[in-house]
Amino acid sequence: QALLPTLSCRLEEVPLEVLRQRESKWLDMLNNWDKWMAKKHKKIRLRCQKGIPPSLRGRAWQYLSGSKVKLEQNMGKFDELDVLPGDPKWLDVIERDLHRQFPFHEMFVSRGGHGQQDLFRVLKAYTLYRPEEGYCQAQAPIAAVLLMHMPAEQAFWCLVQICEKYLPGYYSEKLEAIQLDGQILFSLLHKVSPVAYKHLSKQKIDPILYMTEWFMCAFSRTLPWSSVLRVWDMFFCEGVKIIFRVGLVLLKHTLGSSDKLKSCQGQYETMERLRALSPKIMQETFLVQEVIELPVTERQIEREHLIQLKKWREMHGELQCKSPPRLHGAKAISEAEAPTHKALEPIPSIIVPPGPAPVPKARKSKEKSREKSPAGPANGPGAEGNGVPGSTRELLHPQVSPHHQSKESLSSRESEDTYL
Amino acid sequence: SAMPFSSSGTDDAFDYLFKIILIGDSNVGKTCVVHRFKTGQYNEKQQNTIGVDFTVRSMDIDGKKVKIQVWDTAGQERFRTITQSYYRSAHGAILAYDLTRRSTFESIPHWIHEIEKYGAANLVIMLIGNKSDSLDKRQVLFEDACTLAEKHGLLAVLETSAKEAQNIEEVFTLMAKELIARNTLQLHGENPPNSIYLDSRPVVASPSVEKTQCLC
Repeated sequence: QALLPTLSCRLEEVPLEVLRQRESKWLDMLNNWDKWMAKKHKKIRLRCQKGIPPSLRGRAWQYLSGSKVKLEQNMGKFDELDVLPGDPKWLDVIERDLHRQFPFHEMFVSRGGHGQQDLFRVLKAYTLYRPEEGYCQAQAPIAAVLLMHMPAEQAFWCLVQICEKYLPGYYSEKLEAIQLDGQILFSLLHKVSPVAYKHLSKQKIDPILYMTEWFMCAFSRTLPWSSVLRVWDMFFCEGVKIIFRVGLVLLKHTLGSSDKLKSCQGQYETMERLRALSPKIMQETFLVQEVIELPVTERQIEREHLIQLKKWREMHGELQCKSPPRLHGAKAISEAEAPTHKALEPIPSIIVPPGPAPVPKARKSKEKSREKSPAGPANGPGAEGNGVPGSTRELLHPQVSPHHQSKESLSSRESEDTYL
Repeated sequence: SAMPFSSSGTDDAFDYLFKIILIGDSNVGKTCVVHRFKTGQYNEKQQNTIGVDFTVRSMDIDGKKVKIQVWDTAGQERFRTITQSYYRSAHGAILAYDLTRRSTFESIPHWIHEIEKYGAANLVIMLIGNKSDSLDKRQVLFEDACTLAEKHGLLAVLETSAKEAQNIEEVFTLMAKELIARNTLQLHGENPPNSIYLDSRPVVASPSVEKTQCLC
């Protein structure tokens, strides 16, 4: 059972020098994240496609997903949830899944080891954070992959972002969203590989049969480990489009020609083939290149979503679980999550009036923000919050004082980048 | 719907093809049972099943080649919307509980209800109490399982261990034999398929398998 032997050995065959260069580029991006996000988003995307350096991957995922901002807006929230007992109905299911996630990974290998403990904390916290959603078994592998890259609190917020922004509805009661995406995938396959589409139609193989685990676990149980990480790098940057593309590439290269279909004529043979995918097509470099080149866009997915939604309603009536709209990647999330950031951008250069006016005004706004600060969403009970002076707190939470206008605010914006 | 299939000219011809769904609460050992049946091995580190999976094995039953397709399902309630759609085409259902965990036995009536609601009317249902290798932790009496099975008219109850390969072959053999018998009856168009055959079967286990098997 060689499930994850590649985990510790050869993650990336990037020359050391290139790796160091990439690391310093990524450090620069992370230290000036908002600027990069606002102005050089394409560059971020390119660098995600090349692969995030392993040493910075965990941090990068948090920036890309917006979970870092989310954590800062909710200081202490995780600790709050962490000490609550939780609903026994969820605890029971979660506990039974702890030893069944990446059982060969050293972090999760021992019962009650720190990996399994953290996994429990993260999943339990989610059921308390979204009691109406509770726990879905497919969340466990997602959380486990996150925990391999970051501490429990960070992993929790990253999981929240995945469940609410990237893949809304996937883990909700009724699992309607995943079934819809199955239909969307199949419809897109029609365009990407008519041969594979025709074959699957003829064999009456419902997308649910092969794509449920692929999509719900974001391929973390399907691909070789180095490919999982590369796919996740792109997924965090570009959103669910990447998941669709990976699925389409796998289908196309498994069932996409009459030659390939010769050896899997029946339903069972086809299923077997899809379960035991050829290592060649899952190989990191090949797969990533194919995914980048596959012309399936967000717009196509959204258009297909509307079509399938309409069909769904005709067949099953209204969706029973209403989910927020899906956000396609880091840029969309940052724009939706922190509109106040955007509002901040142009103000210093445009509005600052000439003469002595700015000084008292600036002070005023600063006082105002100080007053507001304790009442802001940042006012968590976390131990760290207590020792933080007001100004730092403003830096951490620029949204509590949206009227910065002085030089001071300019300089604070510069240093703010090191935080955000 | 349970008809003998003729194979499509490939070398792995068969006399019968039966689809069997395997259902039951999370972590009762469904996937381990299938894995044992398919490979003869026990997988200590089995991941939880997400969605639906399926496995095929051929068995020789009284000189007939029988292909058994087992549809393994995720146990969590949430996945039922996905797994339910596979009930309809199934010929048989194996209901699994964990005999070291009472709650998994208590949800069996609920699972039976699911089958009645979404499955074909003549579906053959069997009950298995898995993890019989941990009898010291037993929370479900075999007698209770038999009572439940009789009450709901199930084919049989077997206590199994995927870990120690107890009764796994027997489960599928018994199921296959029953399905063949029903097919034969149906094919010959003699009696209404279910009633007579069901009534004529022994309620107590045959002595050879002692108290881990009960034909209801």
